[in-house]
Amino acid sequence: MKNSAVFLQKPDFSITIFSQTQLLKMVVELTRHITSLINFSAAEAQKISLAIDEAVTNVIKHSYDNATDQQITIEYFLAPGGIKIRIFYRGLPPDISDEEINVSKMIKKKKKGGLGVKLMKTIMDSVTYETMDGVNCCEMIKWQKTI
Amino acid sequence: MKNFQIRSKIVNGVAVLYLKGHLDAHQVARFEKELIRLIKESNFNILINGQDLNYITSAGMGIIMGYIDEVREKGGDIKLCSLTERVYETFDLVGFTEIYDFVQNEQVALEKFSRISPKT
Repeated sequence: MKNSAVFLQKPDFSITIFSQTQLLKMVVELTRHITSLINFSAAEAQKISLAIDEAVTNVIKHSYDNATDQQITIEYFLAPGGIKIRIFYRGLPPDISDEEINVSKMIKKKKKGGLGVKLMKTIMDSVTYETMDGVNCCEMIKWQKTI
Repeated sequence: MKNFQIRSKIVNGVAVLYLKGHLDAHQVARFEKELIRLIKESNFNILINGQDLNYITSAGMGIIMGYIDEVREKGGDIKLCSLTERVYETFDLVGFTEIYDFVQNEQVALEKFSRISPKT
């Protein structure tokens, strides 16, 4: 794992959106474009965008209970060979378990949710959550593969 | 133009769902509604053709996960065919490819369905 200290304190890009699922596609397109600026492959850019989509979807569905008038701020930090993305939001803190998600068990329980966190953790090198003074932050880091 | 389109038809007793475009949490209710309609009409052999599907999130995959057991209990199955490499990879990331039947194309999938018949 590379050192996250290579990222600057201030984000290179930042966007604040309302908590509306109709804006997810825009976030995906933006993330894909930003990741391509630091030479992630198209396939990797697509995966990183998917991880962000899942994180923002979780915020809208679970933290904001599908309310459409809340705010979500997404910050992008670029560094040579890597990207850090921080998602800030209020509402309910995330209910993130470290337990390995078993798809077969979820089928038996007829569950429809829970896959998003698995996708985020599978795609990104690091996924961390923290809450401070009522503001939640999901931070994700992805490094380029070295050949 | 809509970001996501869905249509279905019955082919040799198999309900084929054609998904097109970008399937995320914003669009997923339409997918679930159509799947529920097919199951309510006693279609338990369901094929999802993803030839024109270019993006899927866990919201869409979760719908399949939520109904697969019900369909299999009735002797049917939900199979997937003709997925693009990237969409297949998304299913693979969560381990779906070990649990669901992913078939190369619609014709092969229909032939596989013809070898099973739903419980009455």
